[in-house]
Amino acid sequence: MIVDVIVIGGGASGLAAAISVKKRNKQVLLIERENELGGILNQCIHNGFGLEVFKEEYTGPEYAYKFIEEFNDLKIDYLLNTTVIKLVKNGDEFVVTISSTAQGLKEIKAKAVIISSGCYERTRGQIAMPGERPRGVITAGSAQRYLNINGYMVGKKAFILGSGDIGLIMARRMHLEGAEVLGVAEIMPYSNGLNRNIVQCLNDFDIPLYLSHTVTNVESDDSKRLKAITIQQVDERFNPISGTEKRFEVDTLLLSIGLIPDITLLDDLSVEVDQKTKSSKINQAYETSVPGLFICGNSLQVHDLVDNVSKESSRAGNCTADFLENKFKPRKKINIIPGKNILYVAPQYLDFGWDFTDLIISFRSSKKLEKAIAKVYQGDNLVYQKRRTFVVPAEMETISFPYQELNDSQDIRVELEEL
Amino acid sequence: MYDYIIIGAGVVGSAIARELSLYQAKTLVLEKENDVANVQSLANSAIVHSGHNPEPNSLKARLSVWGNKLYEEMEKELDIPLLRTGAYVVAHNAEEERQLEELTELARINQVPEFKILSFEEALKDEPNLSKTVTKVLSLPTTKVTYPWEVAFAAMENALINGVEFIKNALVTGIKKEFDYFVVTVNNHIEYQCRYLINSAGVASDDIAGLIEKNVPFHITGRKGEYFVIDKRAKGFVNHILYPLPTELGKGVLITPQYHGEILLGPNSELVEDKYLPTTSFAGLAYVKEHAAMLADNIPFNQIIRSFAGIRSTADYDDFYIKESLEVKGLFHLGGIDSPGLTACFAIAKYLVNEVMNVDNIYQLNPDFNPYRKKRVMFHKLSDVEKQVLIKEEPMYGNIICKCEKITEKEILEAMRGPLGSNTIKGIKKRTRAGAGLCQGGYCEEKIVKMISKEFNLSPMDIAYDKENTKLFTQETKVLKK
Amino acid sequence: MAKEFICIVCPRGCHVSVDDLGKITGNQCKRGETYVINEMTNPKRVLTTTVKTIFPEVPRASVKTKEAIPKGLIYQAMALINQVVIEKEMHIGEVIIPNILNTGVDVVLTKEIRRKEER
Repeated sequence: MIVDVIVIGGGASGLAAAISVKKRNKQVLLIERENELGGILNQCIHNGFGLEVFKEEYTGPEYAYKFIEEFNDLKIDYLLNTTVIKLVKNGDEFVVTISSTAQGLKEIKAKAVIISSGCYERTRGQIAMPGERPRGVITAGSAQRYLNINGYMVGKKAFILGSGDIGLIMARRMHLEGAEVLGVAEIMPYSNGLNRNIVQCLNDFDIPLYLSHTVTNVESDDSKRLKAITIQQVDERFNPISGTEKRFEVDTLLLSIGLIPDITLLDDLSVEVDQKTKSSKINQAYETSVPGLFICGNSLQVHDLVDNVSKESSRAGNCTADFLENKFKPRKKINIIPGKNILYVAPQYLDFGWDFTDLIISFRSSKKLEKAIAKVYQGDNLVYQKRRTFVVPAEMETISFPYQELNDSQDIRVELEEL
Repeated sequence: MYDYIIIGAGVVGSAIARELSLYQAKTLVLEKENDVANVQSLANSAIVHSGHNPEPNSLKARLSVWGNKLYEEMEKELDIPLLRTGAYVVAHNAEEERQLEELTELARINQVPEFKILSFEEALKDEPNLSKTVTKVLSLPTTKVTYPWEVAFAAMENALINGVEFIKNALVTGIKKEFDYFVVTVNNHIEYQCRYLINSAGVASDDIAGLIEKNVPFHITGRKGEYFVIDKRAKGFVNHILYPLPTELGKGVLITPQYHGEILLGPNSELVEDKYLPTTSFAGLAYVKEHAAMLADNIPFNQIIRSFAGIRSTADYDDFYIKESLEVKGLFHLGGIDSPGLTACFAIAKYLVNEVMNVDNIYQLNPDFNPYRKKRVMFHKLSDVEKQVLIKEEPMYGNIICKCEKITEKEILEAMRGPLGSNTIKGIKKRTRAGAGLCQGGYCEEKIVKMISKEFNLSPMDIAYDKENTKLFTQETKVLKK
Repeated sequence: MAKEFICIVCPRGCHVSVDDLGKITGNQCKRGETYVINEMTNPKRVLTTTVKTIFPEVPRASVKTKEAIPKGLIYQAMALINQVVIEKEMHIGEVIIPNILNTGVDVVLTKEIRRKEER
């Protein structure tokens, strides 16, 4: 037996992708390792989801439920409590090895695969934070799951490193559940979270935000439980400035220092990886360098808005259906290159074998720009431009324009021109 | 009344416990931590050295060459993991090549097997990422890598099934000698008695000695080593252990492939004031990166998943100090067991028992001694066919709890059970590697909490990371306060 | 002197300013204006939190105030919500506390409460 599409991961991305493929009358099997669909949305109990997709504001679980209902109405096949442990390609077929208590170890074949496996949190180890290694230093997302799903508080007195949205939202949650939150430190001179979260999670509760600060020492008590942390201001090159030390006695340090696409499943396939997004490179159809292997959501690029995840994954699902309908004739491809003030772009390739009307490019700026123009060049030729205000690295930008005018012999460059 | 009390359950204390269980003697092991292998044995390079660099005729030289050989036996008896990497000691220029020749001479005198000098080109064949600045290499094929936590678990588990007793969270706070026996006070209020006392307290060994001796014959200073761990996805980046030339500070910053596929960079070597305080620093970790880069090109620094520090217990005595106390008869010290302590641990145990304590003159052999330990299933290392067979017998092998290291529900259950079962997050991580991978437990810890809670009928509020006071949670939400 | 606000109505987070004459600029939609006026007169927030349930598979369920409530009532609202225990299976959107603190706003479930089946 061979299924048309296997979708790996049943969060916001996988649900939207599976729904759009199913609507094109393809056979879909979605695999989820947790015991329910919805992914991380289930622990994001705050509101702010859905304004773009539903024109209404929902909490994470509500937003997930909208998609789960549609998913169930379409009678899409899925497996819960099931982990994909291996993904390989034999000729034109993908072989997905799953493992679960119910099914044991089993191989399932598919004509196409959509990776929607989300991302994981950067940990203390990845930033080489100095000091001891006590209990009490924990990623914000893990603490969020403990708090919102299980009802366990990880501490009574907390400090937060990193101003990513999860960190800000956890500052408010812990405060409202009775913990004392002493502050948030951010190594960059600007916040990495959305503005609204600075206002309603920190300012509302007088929680101080220390910009250009980082944690430079971690102390533990005799039993190796966190006792105190020290933060320090950093210079432009992120070196701590002596004399700026502030010590906080806390039992918890939450880390909100970044999310990294989880593409460990692609290890056995030789996909081309973008060092900037830390995920697979794709063409405009969300297809990786392995034909028939698609990727979307936070496993492609870390999003700040779930609405964009849904929209993107829905497009990826449609492209997967196109692939199954042989609408794709491999042709020449050109690079899409991040230019001035751009951190990364996705897609990284434009493949002329896909028949589309519009080219949609997501990108992040490499610095804060109050007013800017996003410009797309092919060679010296300006092919698209649009004004943007308050462009910050924390917020993903998307542009969309027709590309019939583009030629297949020169690369495309995306730039942000500061005004 | 015990015949022997061993203070400290690192790799050395555990190996001694196992060696003593060969005899009809009653042995108790006291450990201040909540698990075996929790201080010096917890954080080190995991290398079984060939014995190439200790001073000839020293105990370190003899016991490391011997210890290295014993690992081959222990692999069979105790199912101790071994990764036969071999090692390259590298030279970069004429002066270093001269030092490399001196080192080769030491290896010859210490009777290290199979060593040989390789040209850069020869070495490059097996190590494509060897630094292009290297000119010559001393190859040491018997150098290998083990898994230090498993060494301690294996030795202690085997000791326990052969009759040894083990108490954790037992800090020795007093030692007295009454006539011909010792009274050892634990946690200030519990007393145990024994005929012979073995001080294998590692970093604390001088403090333990100080509880009964006026003039402690050695003094321990902490020498801190900082490390980076590179994710196992970089496996194969180097295949041998790469050493620089040794200096008076030790063996230097190494690149060491690990048994489970990660790659270790480090350690630096820094004397510290507080020997109980393993901290990392910006400067120390920068030093590690800089020096590792002298051994290999293209180090995948972007795949670092963890940094940590370990403390080596260096004595002001030039060798391992393995002797009976000069002041108190029946008290035996194992002082200054720094590197190559892990290499030598099984040889240290045999040397202590047979040549220092002469146990065979005192006690009969234990006729029921079982040298074998039940194999631990490492599910992800099995072939698909073997996996299928096991899952059929036990469906819980199908449930992946730690997705990074692919550790199954059944393996975690096993880690909670058995003679050395653990009910802490760290204990389970040490036994199974759940939480040791890319996400560092961010995903699986919650699932393990639930499993511990169920297995031990513990409220999640009472589950600890490691020691008693390291409870994971402070309270439940929405629980009305009285 | 002009007052600066960051609009929190949607994730866009417009920088809105109000000058001495009460003129509002910088908002990209009408809701931004309403937000700023409210923020100056009676700031309100939607409160999202959890309630306890008796089901071990779903120990906590998420809830929200259906509309924003005055900012000053947030702690009192938390205290009330913390006393609720859900004892039956319930649907998303069902009211947990009607008209909390006489605000006219209901607290509703944002999660289905179902015992989980193995699949």
